[in-house]
Amino acid sequence: MSPRLPPGEIRVFAQYGEDFREQADVAVVGSGPGGAVVAKELAEAGKRVVLLEEGPPLTPQDYEWDGARSMTRTLREGGLRATRGYVMPTMQAICLGGGSLVNSAICPRAPDFTLERWCTQFELAHTTLTGLRPHYESVEKFLGIAPTPANVQGARNLLFKRGCDALGYSSEPIPRNVRGCRGSGECFTGCRSRAKQSMDISYVPAAIRAGARVLTSVQVQEVISEGRQAGAVVGQVVAPFTGRPSYRFEVRAKVIVLSAGCMATPVLLQRSRNLANRSGQVGQNLQFHPGVAIQGVFPERTDPQFGATQGYQSLHFLREGFKLETLWAPPGVLAVRTPGFGHALKRRLAEIPYSATWDAISGCHSSLGTVRARRGTLDPALHWQLDERDMPILQRALWVLAEIFFAAGARKILPGVHGVADELHSLREAEPLRSKGLRPKDLVCGGNHVFSTARMHGDPRRGVVDEYGKCHDLENLWIADTSVFPQSPSVNPMLTCMALAHRTAHAIAERV
Amino acid sequence: MSLLALALAAAAGYALTRIFLGYSRPASRPVLLTRPELAVVDAAAETLFPPGGVIPMSGREARIAAFVDFYVAAVPRNLRILIRMLFFLVEHATLFFPAPGGLLGGGMRRFSRLSPEQRDAALAGWERSSLFPRRLVFTSLRAILTMGYLSSPAVLRALGLAPREIPTPICEADLLYPRIGALPSTIALRAEDLTPPSDGTPLGPTGPLRADYAERVQP
Repeated sequence: MSPRLPPGEIRVFAQYGEDFREQADVAVVGSGPGGAVVAKELAEAGKRVVLLEEGPPLTPQDYEWDGARSMTRTLREGGLRATRGYVMPTMQAICLGGGSLVNSAICPRAPDFTLERWCTQFELAHTTLTGLRPHYESVEKFLGIAPTPANVQGARNLLFKRGCDALGYSSEPIPRNVRGCRGSGECFTGCRSRAKQSMDISYVPAAIRAGARVLTSVQVQEVISEGRQAGAVVGQVVAPFTGRPSYRFEVRAKVIVLSAGCMATPVLLQRSRNLANRSGQVGQNLQFHPGVAIQGVFPERTDPQFGATQGYQSLHFLREGFKLETLWAPPGVLAVRTPGFGHALKRRLAEIPYSATWDAISGCHSSLGTVRARRGTLDPALHWQLDERDMPILQRALWVLAEIFFAAGARKILPGVHGVADELHSLREAEPLRSKGLRPKDLVCGGNHVFSTARMHGDPRRGVVDEYGKCHDLENLWIADTSVFPQSPSVNPMLTCMALAHRTAHAIAERV
Repeated sequence: MSLLALALAAAAGYALTRIFLGYSRPASRPVLLTRPELAVVDAAAETLFPPGGVIPMSGREARIAAFVDFYVAAVPRNLRILIRMLFFLVEHATLFFPAPGGLLGGGMRRFSRLSPEQRDAALAGWERSSLFPRRLVFTSLRAILTMGYLSSPAVLRALGLAPREIPTPICEADLLYPRIGALPSTIALRAEDLTPPSDGTPLGPTGPLRADYAERVQP
């Protein structure tokens, strides 16, 4: 066994040379928006914290601008992870900072009516907007969360505002965790401007400053427990990108916090002799924000690669079940939905500089699935169905997007819906988006916001954790990631995840 | 009886030839893909992105096959198998569901041996199918090849989408993390090297391209 790390340090793959053992007050598994917040808050509270991350830290020199190459480095299963049942791609990150390194930095608070619904339906007392306000405020202040400034919106985002204004739909600049954004549109592959305050450049360094030890390239494979006490996490060092396992490790801690994400946290519990699952809810209730998108082509150049990746949104239809946003991604990733082939496809690709892509994400409460551990791997088996009952919401969202495009002056849209023409040149031509009886398999959806696979519930028989994130079944095992959400937060989940993690950290600090 | 055996052997040999043989040697040594896989990827790339038109580069000129070879090698094993099965399916489906022309008109050949018009028809069949799994095969194939096409610096330059040079400020994290595979002792930066953070000046379609996307640089 190697000597213990000095406090306040990060360890990378090249430094491991033998099996090792660590001891801490708190072991945090996962350095995404949940785990990084917990690690920093508890380290600042004077706890000895070890933060474990399966992926490596990436420097700007390690970023790949090309979308496909970047996905093979930063996303689990090379970015090709998908659900079974209804086939839908879903992306989860594997790097220091987790999803915050490759997402668009979108940080809205969950709306009041959603949190009220959570409290009513899931027997929660303090998860109201008032109860979460100090936690939201703390995170917002630390990350500099603010509405996207007008000077980096770019044409693609401002056209969305123009369309919404023309129709009387409310819209606003997206609040994001950025400082000094230059509108490079590179959120998806790592921000070369260092403007995005992803966890690896914000909360993790702050945790290290406060004395936390960060172990990267370590895969936690099991939580060791006895009775109602979790005692340690064990696993193996894994090589960056290939995942090849080598040395074994064990981290013993008084408190263990799982922040491995909505897919990995339930799998870890299932692989740990079905830990914390007396309710039977671990791995159940898998929910997404299925997203649909439309590309619109305008008469004038939009130069869509410039401007904040996602700079404008509309919450106008939130109570109807969907949220609208602008969107950009690396061209190779964005264009995979472009219809046709041959010269028609090339012509459409040549129109990208004149185009904008806008999307809608939806709560889809009837569409549920499961996460299951698979033999010999920590990658989960995902089963999920897009329920017919949620189709009217998605279809309505597509129609509203079409309305906004034509109100903004688009000369045509590419809806990407099976059974509808590849190109629609007017709202009249787009009528099938409203009137045709679309089925789930007519749509090409993506789902990157994931929830509820270890949900909180006031009743231990119906949930995995209480509203502070403590597992009902164990005294010292906590969860801080989106798996604890009882349902969709109606908007992008990162800020709510961090606010809940902030509350969890303070609950741990008080009790331990 | 012997005639029947002979006929069966001839048929089996013919079928094997159609399925497994007759692939030419690739120009450069592939990372992972076999000759048949490279052949179907190359044929599909030329069908999806033919020469000429509004973007001059064809799928072959954009070196899609080399990208796919790299990409398939980089994804996890279980997905690698699925992608290779996809290529096998596309290559051989026309032996069982012939392209226009049928047996006598040459439509009952491997995808990579079909004429350009027959390949168009075969892919259109996948794309427009009423069966979701068939459409899924097409969209999966197109997705991988489109990523390859738009990874080509020449294509990106032609579209005006190639990335620009962006100065990267040096922040606290840069003092903590070495490059992938390196030891922390290789970090040359010190606290005095920290630079002011980004000032938020908007970027636009001017300024030099990133060196690895500038002209005459191979991908």
